Amino acid sequence: MTATPAPAPPAALRRRVTFPVTGMSCAACASRIQRQLQATPGVREASVNFGTTKATVELDGAQPREVMEAVRDAGYDVGTDALSLAVADLRSALDTSRLEHAIREVRGVLGAVANPAAESVRVTYVPGFLDPRDLEEAVTAAGFVLAVPVSESDPVERERLVREREARDLAWKLALAAVVAVAAMVASMPLMGAEAVGSADLLARVLMPLDGAMRRGLPWLYAADPQTLKVVLFLATLPVMAWSGRGFYVSAWRGFEHRSADMNTLIGVGTAAAMLYSAAATFTPGVFTGAGLPADVYYEAVSAIIALILLGRLLESRAKGRTSEAMRRLLGLAPRTARALRGGAEVEIPAAAVVVGDIVLVRPGEKIPVDGVVRGGRTAVDESMLTGEPMPVPKAPGDEVVGATLNTTGAITVEATRIGRDTALAQIVRLVEEAQGSRAPVQRLADRIAGVFVPAVIALAIAAFVIWFDFGPSPAPVYATVVLVSVLIIACPCAMGLATPTAIMVGAGRGAERGVLAKGGSALEAASSVDVIVLDKTGTVTEGHPAVTEVMIALEVVDRMAAGTPGDGEAAVLQLAAAVERLSEHPLAAAIVRAAAERGLQPPEATGFRALEGRGVTATIGGHAVAVGSATYLIELGVDVGPFTDAVDSLAARARTPVLVAVDGAPAGLIGLADPIKPSAVAAVRAFKAMGLEVLMVTGDIRKVAIAVAGEVGIDEVESGMLPAGKVAIVKRLQEAGKRVAMVGDGINDAPALATADVGLAIGTGTDVAVEAADIALMSGDLTTAVTALELARRTMRTIRQNLFWAFAYNVVGIPIAAGLLYPVAGVLLSPVFASAAMAFSSVFVVTNSLRLRRFTPSLAP
Amino acid sequence: MTVSKAVVTLVGLVAIVWVLWYFLATPRPARGRGERR
Repeated sequence: MTATPAPAPPAALRRRVTFPVTGMSCAACASRIQRQLQATPGVREASVNFGTTKATVELDGAQPREVMEAVRDAGYDVGTDALSLAVADLRSALDTSRLEHAIREVRGVLGAVANPAAESVRVTYVPGFLDPRDLEEAVTAAGFVLAVPVSESDPVERERLVREREARDLAWKLALAAVVAVAAMVASMPLMGAEAVGSADLLARVLMPLDGAMRRGLPWLYAADPQTLKVVLFLATLPVMAWSGRGFYVSAWRGFEHRSADMNTLIGVGTAAAMLYSAAATFTPGVFTGAGLPADVYYEAVSAIIALILLGRLLESRAKGRTSEAMRRLLGLAPRTARALRGGAEVEIPAAAVVVGDIVLVRPGEKIPVDGVVRGGRTAVDESMLTGEPMPVPKAPGDEVVGATLNTTGAITVEATRIGRDTALAQIVRLVEEAQGSRAPVQRLADRIAGVFVPAVIALAIAAFVIWFDFGPSPAPVYATVVLVSVLIIACPCAMGLATPTAIMVGAGRGAERGVLAKGGSALEAASSVDVIVLDKTGTVTEGHPAVTEVMIALEVVDRMAAGTPGDGEAAVLQLAAAVERLSEHPLAAAIVRAAAERGLQPPEATGFRALEGRGVTATIGGHAVAVGSATYLIELGVDVGPFTDAVDSLAARARTPVLVAVDGAPAGLIGLADPIKPSAVAAVRAFKAMGLEVLMVTGDIRKVAIAVAGEVGIDEVESGMLPAGKVAIVKRLQEAGKRVAMVGDGINDAPALATADVGLAIGTGTDVAVEAADIALMSGDLTTAVTALELARRTMRTIRQNLFWAFAYNVVGIPIAAGLLYPVAGVLLSPVFASAAMAFSSVFVVTNSLRLRRFTPSLAP
Repeated sequence: MTVSKAVVTLVGLVAIVWVLWYFLATPRPARGRGERR
C-alpha cells in the first residue's frame, strides 16, 4: 500500500465483479486464468480462486465480453446461469424478437429466448456481470411489463445446488472406478501368481495371503484363460479412463497446450503410462515374452488411482461446501417477506420485490426487510446482527434502519431506501465473498512452486525409469514402469494447491461469524505479522459520540447575539454551532447538534458550508460568518481567542475537548465536550500488549485530552493534534523503522492512514469511507474485535504454514520411496495404487487441518 | 539388451531436457488471442 494512491478513474467506471469459472481442476489452473485476466486491457486487478471456483476482477474499462474471452483464451469457461422472466402481454412474433433483442443488449446477458405461449423469456447470463435492475429497465424500455419483478435468486442457494450436482457427478464417477478397480484387483490375482515383481510390491505382499483363499472361493477365475482375463480387464478399464478420469486428461491436455503442468499432468501421464504398458502386454505379449519378460498388466492400478483421486476430490468438495456455511447463515438473517403498502392496502410480498420508495410496515418482533428510513412510529431496534451491540437502539421518524435487524418494541413504517444488492447485509455478504475468493500472497508462492515442481517431477520420473531400466533387476522394463507411474502419482501437488485457499476460506468464514470481515487473504496475512498497532482515539478508544458538557460565552458578544435569537446566550452559542455543524460528519459535530436538539433549539439555516478536515467548519448564518473549530483553526482564521485561553486549558486538563465558536471574526463562545472511553478499550489494549505489540494512540485532539484518555486505557505512546496527513506520516515513520503497522480507526480522517498501514482495520461504527479504505472491517464498535481479528489472522497463517509444510514434507518423503530408493536397502517398492492412496490422504489431511479453524474462539469475548 | 539400454537412456535424457525446456525455459505467452488492443 502506498501513501499516495495512483490516480484512479472515477468510481463509476471501475467495477468489481465476481463470476464463476468452470473447468478448473487445480490451483495452477487458477493462476493461469489469473495471468490471462491480468494481461487483458482494461482489467485493473484479477484474482482467481480455485477453492471457490470464482474469479474476481476489477474492471477499468474492459467490457464483460472481453473478460469472458480472456477466460476462454486461457482454456476455461465462464459459468453461466439462466432465469425465466414472466412478461405480460407477450403475444406476437414481432414482440418476441423485439424483446429478445432488447434483453441481449443488457450487460452480462449471453442470450434470450422468448416464449409467447408461456408469456415468458428465458435469459442466460453470467452471474456477477448482470445487474437485475438493468434487465428490468431493458424490458420496461422495450415497452413490456414484467409480471413479477426480477430479483436476484439466492446466490448461496444456487452455489449449494451446483456443489451438490458436482458431488453427485463425482460420486457416480467414483462408483464406476471403484467397482472396476476392486473387480480388476480380484481378477488380477490369478495373473500375478508368485512372480518376481509381486514379491517386491508392497500391495502384492499384503494381498498374497488372500491368494489361497481366493483359489478356493473362485476356482473358475483361476481356471480362466489368462489372455481372456487381460482382454476383459482392458475393456473394463476403458470406460473408467474415458468417463471417470476424463477430467484429468482434458485438464492435462489444456495445461500442456499452454505450456503449464499441474497435478492433472501427473495423474494423466501416470495412468496413461500404466494403461499403454498394460495394453501392449495384452495385445502384443510376444514382444515381451520374446525378450524374456513376463507380459504383466496394471489395469487395476489405473482404475484404483482414478478412484482414489476422485475420492479425494469428493471429500474436498464436501469440505468446501462446509466453508460457505458462514455466508449461508449471514444470508439467512434476512426475512423472506415484507408487508408493503401498495395502493393504500397492506399486501404481503417477497422481500426481494420491495422497490425503493415503498412504505413497509414492521410490527414488533419482526425483522426489518430492507434498509430504509423510519417514517412513522417509534421503536427500539436490535442491531446486534450488524454491530454486535446487544442494546436495542431507539428509532424515531427520520432515523435509518438496516434490513435484517430486529424490531423490538413498537410498530413502525419504513420507507425503503436501499434494496437487493445495495443493502448493508448484501454488502457484508459481498465483502465476505471477495475475501474468500481472494488470494493471499503466500498462495502465489505455492503456485510458483507448483509450476516448477511438476515439470521437475516428470523429469525425475523419467530419470528413475531410465536408471531402473539400465541398472535395475530383471525384468527391468516392468520395474521401471512401476517406478515411473508411482513417482508421477505420488508427487501430485494437490495438497500444496489446497493449503492456502482452504485455510483462507475457513478463516474468513469464521471471522465473519465473529464480526471480523477480512477483505482478502492478503489482509489476513498482513494482520498476522504486525509489530505496532496504532489506535485512533475518537470512535476507536472512545465511544466516538461525545456529549456536550459545558457551554461558555464571551460576554461582549452575548448582547449582540441575544437580540436576534430567543433564549439565553449559552443557547445562542449552541444554536449557532449546531447550525454550522449540522452539515459536518465529525463526531464532535453530531454531539453539538444532539445537544441543541435535546434543549429544543431550532438551528437556523446555514449557507456556504465549508469543512477543513480535523480542524473546523465555517458557514454563513443570516449574513454573519460563523466559524466553529479548534483554537488553532480559529487563530488561523484571525480570531483573537485570548479570552478563552484559560478556559481551554482547564477543559483540556479534564480530558474535555474545547470547541470554539466565532462570529464575524470575534470569539462568541466555547463548548466543552467529553467523549467517554469504551469499556472494552482497557482489556483490548492489555491484550494487544500481551500479543507483544507496541500500542500507539493518534488523535486529532489536543495533547492534554489525548494524554488523559491514553492514561486511562493504559497506552504509553500518544501522538496528538494529528491531521489526516499527520497520521499517515506517523504510520510511514513506523514503517520506515522496519515495523509492520496495523491501524484501527473509524472516521473519514483515518481513511488515508488506514490505507497506508500494512493492515487497516475499520471499526464497526465507522463511516463508509473508512470501511472502503480498510483491509479488515470490524462489525462491532467494540475494540476487542480488533484483538479477535489479529488472533484469527495469526491462527489462519499458522494453519497455512502447517499445511504447506505437510504438503511439502509429504512429497519429500514420498517421491524417493516411489522412485525405489528403499528397494536396494529393504527390498520394498511402492505400488502405484499405494501412491495414489497416500496422495489422496495428503489432500484430505490439509483440508481437515484447515477446517480446524472453524473452532477458533477469540480470547476476549466481545 | 545393451543396445536397448543405450536407446532408452538416450531417449530418456532427451525427454528430460525437452520437458524442462518446454515447461520452464521458454517464457509463457503473456497473453493469448486477447492480445489485440
